[in-house]
Amino acid sequence: MSDLAFSNDSLGHVLITGGCGFLGHHIVNILLERHPSTRITVLDLRTNVNRNLSPKLRPDVVIHTASPHAFAAREVLWKVNVEGTKVLLEAAQKSGVKAFVHTSSASVIMDRSMKIINADERWPVVMGKEQPEYYTTTKPPTAPPTFLTTALRPAGIFGEGDGQTLPGMLNVLAQGKHTFQIGANDNLFDFTYVLNVAHAHILAANALLATASMAPTVPLDNERVDGEAFFITNDAPIYFWDFARTVWFYAGDRTPLSKVWVLPEEVMSTLGGVMEWVYGAVGKKPAMTRAQARYACMTRYFDISKAKRRLGYSPIVGLEEGIRRGWRRRWRREGGGREEGSVE
Amino acid sequence: MPKFSDIAYYLLHPQELRSILQWNIWHSPVHERYEERECHSLRMCFAFLDKTSRSFSAVIKELHPELLVPICLFYLVLRGLDTIEDDMTIPLSEKEPLLRNFHQVLEEEGWSFDGNGPDEKDRELLVKFHYVVEEFRKVKPEYREIIKDITKKMGNGMADYANNAEHNINGVNTIEDYNLYCHYVAGLVGEGLTRLFVESKLANPLLLQRPELSESMGQFLQQVNIIRDIKEDLDDKRRFWPREVWSKYVDKFEDLFKPENEEKALNCSSEMILIALQRADECLFYLAGIKDQSVFNFAAIPQSMAIATLEKCFRNPDIFKKNVKISKGNACQLMIDSTQNLELVCGVFRRYARLIHKKNDPRDPNFMNISIACGKIEQFIESIFPSQKPPERAAILEKQLSPEEEAKAKADAEEAKWDTIYMGGAVLFTLFFITVFMVVIAWFAGARFDLALAELKPSNLFKRTPAANTEKQIHYDEL
Repeated sequence: MSDLAFSNDSLGHVLITGGCGFLGHHIVNILLERHPSTRITVLDLRTNVNRNLSPKLRPDVVIHTASPHAFAAREVLWKVNVEGTKVLLEAAQKSGVKAFVHTSSASVIMDRSMKIINADERWPVVMGKEQPEYYTTTKPPTAPPTFLTTALRPAGIFGEGDGQTLPGMLNVLAQGKHTFQIGANDNLFDFTYVLNVAHAHILAANALLATASMAPTVPLDNERVDGEAFFITNDAPIYFWDFARTVWFYAGDRTPLSKVWVLPEEVMSTLGGVMEWVYGAVGKKPAMTRAQARYACMTRYFDISKAKRRLGYSPIVGLEEGIRRGWRRRWRREGGGREEGSVE
Repeated sequence: MPKFSDIAYYLLHPQELRSILQWNIWHSPVHERYEERECHSLRMCFAFLDKTSRSFSAVIKELHPELLVPICLFYLVLRGLDTIEDDMTIPLSEKEPLLRNFHQVLEEEGWSFDGNGPDEKDRELLVKFHYVVEEFRKVKPEYREIIKDITKKMGNGMADYANNAEHNINGVNTIEDYNLYCHYVAGLVGEGLTRLFVESKLANPLLLQRPELSESMGQFLQQVNIIRDIKEDLDDKRRFWPREVWSKYVDKFEDLFKPENEEKALNCSSEMILIALQRADECLFYLAGIKDQSVFNFAAIPQSMAIATLEKCFRNPDIFKKNVKISKGNACQLMIDSTQNLELVCGVFRRYARLIHKKNDPRDPNFMNISIACGKIEQFIESIFPSQKPPERAAILEKQLSPEEEAKAKADAEEAKWDTIYMGGAVLFTLFFITVFMVVIAWFAGARFDLALAELKPSNLFKRTPAANTEKQIHYDEL
């Protein structure tokens, strides 16, 4: 990544919330690498440092990645994502922040049809009853403050430190369920390697700082980054099961396609419903749920031209290399090695 | 007389037979040639076209009259150049200047060449090349310039390759060399044709500003041919698959053809197919720039055939044993779908991209990249013919209400509910009033409601049934 030209070696004082988390620690790493003189403050549940945002911090840039797990309890999601963000924005306003980059989610435009086909930022944000995932309802950024803000909407993040995508798929393999395929596998899906998402955050912070520095001149409407949202993907939509199979291949699986059972989506979602009901009666979580069946058959990919044009974004690491890196880290960790990259 | 195996095939594939019949019955050319008005030399040129080209002659002959002759001659000129390049009996010292100066002989009255070996299949064309020259001199100067320019570039490219001893022994080395080779023999044709289309105002001039699109058109066709013809080329002692690719799978090029290396050879062919497939979206983009139907057909048919051929070759061990071809029925269906509009051609590309994706093997090192390439074709098609548009989703926005609006909506709904209740009540009351009123009038007029009610009593209702039976019996007795 050293070949990427960034003229300035400091972005000033950058505060990263969730900086020890999955995405956050990659942002810290990439920031240290590209802008080594930047002063970095990390705010995270998992650190022992002061969790109150002191007005004394006075950061120039806030990168807000902190969020609970998508499957956390509703109250937790609401408290952290909505109220927490509100508190952070107010504090940022008071302490004279110039730029605020918010990590949103690509699912903000998902509705009950559960289908996103080459969508771009013209698609409206879906909230409340129409939004199938509560997590998402808590994700769109709140009212715009006086400083410059932008929201990034990454889709299907995976990579080193990933707690959902890769582990989920590896679980399926460990349980031997990889020989079943739900649906016809014609559904394209956007997965995004975490470093590319981190890269987009740095680009966004840079763009906002550039806009701030040229004030009172404002950028043209078709160039502006502040007040805008951007989908971020690997720009390589792939058939859902093909991604999973590549992950399994790197984990050592060599099952030929002829040994894979294809199960129609309708059957599986009915079965999932029955399982949920049966397991629900005894208070357990079933191995197969309707949501999982739906997820595996969902078409969900985006047109990221806007991020390319306005942020100058393009993925710096391809999907397969991303899987390779994610897998390598996992292997090393299981082999007793120390997790790389986390910030003390 | 059709072969027995063909009859059996089409009995099992009636859909393909249907395509053949449909194409032959319903296809009418956009433009037709008027043979009777053509002079002798032009007729000779068309005769050569039929003789030298299997796939292109039909589409060329249906072209717009403005481009019909120029493109026919362009084809013959390049075929002539190719015939010189291919002929290994011509010594290099003679071949090189011939190739480099071929663009100049095009306007030399009476020029012909009889130096080809007796086995060269298109020898006749060069022996009677003066017919081509004669017609070429009649073509509009603008078109002539374009054809000459491309001939010059291609001739020089071919001469460079002929001079390159290493290429002649080892074939193409790197992927870059491979792209360059395909540029000389096909990318340049794409450039020339695009310039002719734009010059005749039958295509969008913006195509000239995106030369990578016409390059991809040529590259895609050429690469598919190179993949399909691997066995034939091996038998002719030619190698176009770059060493950079095959050396990842086998040590010697010939090893690709050994039965024990089948898996490696298939993975190698996957990489070649991947390289070609990555051009597919640009081909569709190019087709979007064509304005004239006959030019569209001319450009689209070979592209559709190419992606179908690519699918046929994908993970097919037969390509290392024999010449793999798409069936006549498939070819006719492809021609039907490629002679209408871009949306149908996109449908063809999507269909074959999915078929390729279905055959993709997770154990193949190119698995993920092929999947991404197929996805990219689908995404590109969505970008020009979106199946989901944001306005359709505006309805969702309307459903999203703030708390105040939600409260108002709730009050509105409550109000509407009572409106319905009142309305229903009023209707019921009116009906009741009218009923009572009519009953009273009828009673005053002497209606016997007491008898009517008695009739309705269950006991009376059941008593009627046997009575009805007796009536029926009487009826029968009368008979």
